[in-house]
Amino acid sequence: MKVLKRWRILAPALISVLLLPACSGGGSASSGGASAGSVGGAPTQVVLWHMEQPPNRVKVFQGLIDAFNKAHSDVQVTQQVQDWNQIYAKIPAAIQSQTQPDILFAIPDFASYVNSTGAAQPVTALVKQLDSKHHFLAAAKDPYYRNDQYLAVPLYGFGQVLWYRKDLFAKAGIMTAPTTWDELQADAAKLTHGSQYGIALPAGKNLATDQTVYSLMTTNHAESIYSNDNTISFNNERTVQTFELYNKLLQYSPPDSANYGWSEPQAAFNNGTAAMAIEKGQYTSPFTKESGRPARDLGCARIPQPSGGQPGSIYYSNGAMILTKDQKKVAAAGEFLSYLLEPENYGTFLNAEPGLFLPLTQDGQTSSTFWSNPVVAQYKQCVQLMVSQSQYGKLFGFTNGQYQDSVGKISGQNLIAQSIQQMFVSHLAPANAVKWGSDVMQKAITR
Amino acid sequence: MTVGHEPGHFGPQLSPETTQLTTGRRAPSLTRSKMIQRVHGHGFAYLLLAPLLLVLLVVLAYPLAETFRLSVLDVGIIGSPSRFVGLRTFAHVAQDPEFWAAVRRSVYWLLGNMVIQTVFSFTVALLMSRGGWLADKARILVMFPWVIPSVAVAIIWQWMLNSDHGVIVHLLTTFHIMSSPSSPFAHPQAALPVLIFINSWHWFPLGTIIIFGAIQTIPEEIIEAARVDGAGDWRMFWSITLPLISPAMFALGLVGTLWGFNVFDTIYIITKGGPSDASTTAPVYVFNQAFQAFQASQAAAASVLILILLSVFAILYIRFARPKSMM
Repeated sequence: MKVLKRWRILAPALISVLLLPACSGGGSASSGGASAGSVGGAPTQVVLWHMEQPPNRVKVFQGLIDAFNKAHSDVQVTQQVQDWNQIYAKIPAAIQSQTQPDILFAIPDFASYVNSTGAAQPVTALVKQLDSKHHFLAAAKDPYYRNDQYLAVPLYGFGQVLWYRKDLFAKAGIMTAPTTWDELQADAAKLTHGSQYGIALPAGKNLATDQTVYSLMTTNHAESIYSNDNTISFNNERTVQTFELYNKLLQYSPPDSANYGWSEPQAAFNNGTAAMAIEKGQYTSPFTKESGRPARDLGCARIPQPSGGQPGSIYYSNGAMILTKDQKKVAAAGEFLSYLLEPENYGTFLNAEPGLFLPLTQDGQTSSTFWSNPVVAQYKQCVQLMVSQSQYGKLFGFTNGQYQDSVGKISGQNLIAQSIQQMFVSHLAPANAVKWGSDVMQKAITR
Repeated sequence: MTVGHEPGHFGPQLSPETTQLTTGRRAPSLTRSKMIQRVHGHGFAYLLLAPLLLVLLVVLAYPLAETFRLSVLDVGIIGSPSRFVGLRTFAHVAQDPEFWAAVRRSVYWLLGNMVIQTVFSFTVALLMSRGGWLADKARILVMFPWVIPSVAVAIIWQWMLNSDHGVIVHLLTTFHIMSSPSSPFAHPQAALPVLIFINSWHWFPLGTIIIFGAIQTIPEEIIEAARVDGAGDWRMFWSITLPLISPAMFALGLVGTLWGFNVFDTIYIITKGGPSDASTTAPVYVFNQAFQAFQASQAAAASVLILILLSVFAILYIRFARPKSMM
């Protein structure tokens, strides 16, 4: 009984001790977000969220952040790495709980998504100021323009090319890269034998498939998936032709292409299982190490186009959104983004992933720090080719001067890729798969 | 159950509640003063439970209420403006063939997992209970799949079944079981069964430990008496082991079903519900609606419908599958 009495006295005290820190901890743990303001003479805290997870990218970003923080004693930037697979779920939760970052890296359709939560702060003045100084490429900044305002500061671009293994081509007696759809099919067929496949194409339900299919669509003038009245125009003859091509090419792609995203075609390409792939510049950096072949064996060419087609590729930029209303933080974020775009820093920033991140300012395209990187220098011709994609590259939902906010519902669900799966996995005829895709796209944007 | 011995009675003394549970007979009703006395007597216990109940209220009741609220609005992206639409979203989900296809896949997933995990768990638990050096070592080794985080499990199997580097695919091709290297996750007929196997491999140790624990509680004298009566292994299993561990099996069946139905991580990491929605189970459907189609209310309504389905299952399961010893 004595023990029991003692416990009756001690228990409330124990519970209080356990609960009090939990009750009082709310305000102190905000490592980032809107609540982390400057107090007194303390530097302004700016939290950056990005989805560039590979350690090499994080390391380069950190180097630039450290240099910026050292040069700006009144601002303290910190980076927090996020996952593309989770960011669509995480950012609305963060915004609702007011723990969103001050700067968020985004791509155009994701920027639309974030904008619809009401948290995005226009960066029009900053973009115009930076544009007058560095001159952004139109294809990089236009997709971020809505209702007379810019939603993000463009930072780096992406474009696709046809990658091919020169050694495997030579073994097959093919001397040049294909330039037309017919040549592409013929070469893929010739390069397919034994355990080797002509081309590694993604056909999984993912962005990699969306992008590769779309690149081929652009070469066939099928880049607009919206009509002028903002309804879906995906179901057209040119898209069907592109699907027919893709279906034929998939016969020369490894049998598990239906599960391929970004990494699998690259692995197949590097280990010699596949002789071609259509992708962005991430193929340059690891090629010699992963393939065991010299750099000269990595070939690149424009994406082949059909008769009567046009040069084409998907092209989009990654931009930085500002999600804080605190003017001090807005100014600090602007200062940091301006710092990144200075040519002497910009090259270093882009070379966080050499060959993949492409310059999208005029002075950035001539930045010596960019071109002097060993990987970029080694594959200079390919990088130049990808940079040139910005002239004719397209992005679905952002063509013909249209900026469709609803495109996020199409890209978010990978509806182009799902249409490919209907054709490749469920064995619908290309025309039926395109019709299926068109119907689900229309349904998605109407709901 | 209160433990106490009376002269001439060596078994545990049962409380009135336990008597009711085990015999079906109603214990004498408590008087009001006794009830108050009992509550008062348990005051300290309630006090200790209060923080836990408070936490449960915050982490369970609030999200549940919020999900109900979301389901009667027309929220697209979470946090965007919305209006009240009543039960319209429920009607929309109920008429969506993709939702019911996902539920069907979840039932298939559940049954597959139940069968495989039960076979694995029982087999390993029975082998472990036989004793010996190998059984002793197996008690530790069998835990390994369970302690590996789901993300790691998903990635390990994804790579083992990768067509380029996967050791399993390589072996299957080498021994001509597979004509050309190909991952099962690229084939709609194979994806879900293989995922079921992976999930069963991951979780069967839990069932093994529970069944093994239950087997250990079977009194030795009952086993010896059955042996004396000439019962063989098969008869022992059906007439002694299975009935005596049925309470543990009942609990495992209920919890395992509810957990199993809601598995999301392994499926999403490996196939994202593909190819061509072949592995889109109900939880994956909900996730896709919320964060890919940006239809938060539809996801919430689907969640509520799934909650109702699972609740109905749980009630029926408790009503009809409860072992006689727990009636």
